[in-house]
Amino acid sequence: MMLKEKQNLTGWGFLAPATLMIAVMSFYPMFRALILSFKTGIGTGMTWSGLYNYTRMFQDGVFMQALKNNFIYLIIQVPIMLILALVLATMLNDRSLKCKGLFRTAIFLPCATSLVSYAIIFRSLFAVDGFFNTFLVKAGILETGYNFLGNPTSARIVIILALIWRWTGYNMVFYLSGLQNIEYSVYEAAKIDGASPFTIFWKITAPLLKPTILLTAIISTNGTLQLFDESVNLTNGGPANSTITMSHYIYNMSFKYVPNFGYAAAMSFLILILVAVLAFVQMKVGDKRD
Amino acid sequence: MKRKVMAIVLATAMAAGLTGCGAASAPTEVKTETETEAATQTAAAGENTLTVWCWDPAFNIYAMEQAGEIYQESHPEFTLNVIETPATDAQTKLTTAATSGDLSTLPDIILINDSAFQKNVISYPDVFVDLTDSGIDFTKFGPAKVTNSVVNGKNYGVPFDNGAVVNAIRTDVIQEAGYTIDDFTDITWDNYITLGKDVLAKTGKPMLSMQAGESDLVSMILQSAGGSMFDAEGNPTIVNNELLVKAMDVYAELVKSGVLVEVNDWDQYVGGLTSGNVASVINGCWILASVQTAEDQAGNWAVTDMPKLDGVEGATNYSNNGGSSWGITTNCKDTALAFDFMASTFAGSVQLYETILPKSGALATYLPAADSEVYGEGQEFFGGQPIYATITEFAGKVPSINTGVYYYEARDAVSTALSNVIAGADINAELKNAQDTVSFQMGK
Repeated sequence: MMLKEKQNLTGWGFLAPATLMIAVMSFYPMFRALILSFKTGIGTGMTWSGLYNYTRMFQDGVFMQALKNNFIYLIIQVPIMLILALVLATMLNDRSLKCKGLFRTAIFLPCATSLVSYAIIFRSLFAVDGFFNTFLVKAGILETGYNFLGNPTSARIVIILALIWRWTGYNMVFYLSGLQNIEYSVYEAAKIDGASPFTIFWKITAPLLKPTILLTAIISTNGTLQLFDESVNLTNGGPANSTITMSHYIYNMSFKYVPNFGYAAAMSFLILILVAVLAFVQMKVGDKRD
Repeated sequence: MKRKVMAIVLATAMAAGLTGCGAASAPTEVKTETETEAATQTAAAGENTLTVWCWDPAFNIYAMEQAGEIYQESHPEFTLNVIETPATDAQTKLTTAATSGDLSTLPDIILINDSAFQKNVISYPDVFVDLTDSGIDFTKFGPAKVTNSVVNGKNYGVPFDNGAVVNAIRTDVIQEAGYTIDDFTDITWDNYITLGKDVLAKTGKPMLSMQAGESDLVSMILQSAGGSMFDAEGNPTIVNNELLVKAMDVYAELVKSGVLVEVNDWDQYVGGLTSGNVASVINGCWILASVQTAEDQAGNWAVTDMPKLDGVEGATNYSNNGGSSWGITTNCKDTALAFDFMASTFAGSVQLYETILPKSGALATYLPAADSEVYGEGQEFFGGQPIYATITEFAGKVPSINTGVYYYEARDAVSTALSNVIAGADINAELKNAQDTVSFQMGK
């Protein structure tokens, strides 16, 4: 009994510093932000307004547009990226493949570039006189450069392409590590039974990787809903707010426009709620263990 | 197998490490901030010292340092401490200091963009010192410029650089089409579009370029006719604003006729000028610094006034875009010193403006400076034209308007409307949307 108590105390002793740090550096600010989200006003002149900010955002045309944009990115980009990552991981996991390290590094490398610089590079690639337009004109496909970033649909497609380029390798690494936990003999047995590569992928790889797929789905959902750099640096939210994200609008509300931190905090909490709800749904749908 | 697992674990760890690298820039930032803080505090402790935040070594920092030297001549014990702080950083630091209530991190004098000045004074009323009775003579500045830093009838800023709009034209290109700079002087937008189409047809070059989705040119046209997106009380007047509709019509016509090409970002905009792909530029006179980087075009540029709106009473050929003003913070321990410093340099010394002009091109809004000989000197890049005297003269004629506290909100909303109108939407419906958006963001 005494020993157990002592051990317990030691355990708590080790936990205490980290817990304290998280509480002070993370939970306390979050709590203050929550309080802030119930206030409204300009700059430092804040007054209590109850749930006003939370009802206000649903009448805010720009915020609703941003919410819609975020969901467009989420619904289109995340599945494409995850499937691509899974396919690449399966291919790289093949034992007969040569130069595995090279491919792996090449696919993972985009993820090590700075968010701002890659966004700017994509912007210049898709400029009217940029690389892609020059290529398309020289190849005779287009007569004059197409303004990719000047048209709502194509601007969104460019952002989605950029996101896929940047994040596929990151998710692939998770899948690769997940794949290491699947016994190779299972694959050999399946091959002997005459299973096609597609069947192997569908019946063995996908089900056994389920926990990892779930993890990446939640991370990607979270990341997409908080998207900021691409919207700011690649398209600046344009044309006509067709690519602006929620985080970008929250930033504008705090630092570009006449600051209303209460409203900005309330919008941030909506993102938190959305991420939590989506993660919960994904866990319910994806995890059948209990 | 085990080794492979190990490799993957290490790879993941490396991945985590790399992500860590991305985030590792934060400490450096903190370091500069603490450095700045230390500097600020020493400055506040010492007497006869003023600390200043501004951002451009070739421009406003240089001007401030020169002002310090001039002031030292009569006050040898005076020291000036200029800290390079980019405009966006200054805004973030100001926001942090004001919202936390700890103003001790702020400098004595801070440079702020004119378009953000009223916003900051209204959002953080405790931060700025009222300069109305400080002994600074505000009548010596262009009235439109002074308005930018006036809140509730009180002066909070000392005007600095000039954002008077210039119409800078490649004389060699228009000559090819058979025109001279005089054909573009004191004209209306209808004349301009006719001339522009002709230049485009004969040389293949559009007259103007503009960043797509930016309402800058529309705002400039609006102000040139004395119009604003806000009334005197600060209420948005975007919907049913006849001048705004006319300004947007002009812009749409410019785009449709090909006289104006839209580009996606600032680099392409400046690139178009320096590479000679467009024949002219209409913008705040600070754009001339970028124009002059194209040394091979020296002598081929000339400056004139912008076109005015047709059939509008009170329309002029003068407008404003950009510029900045000095504010004095409440963290300043010795406001008498700060007042005297500003009154005897930026608001009282023609010599200062004569010193800074040739090297930095920092154009004054201080009207007496325009009579100076230095301002009257011909500039080689502009074919010997005394552009600085010309622009200072323009600045005095800019209609004074209320740009509004909610300037950035209105600008973004009108930009959205503009993009949609160019894409074919109905102008009145779009302006109604823009008005609703701004009213909503103002909480009305």
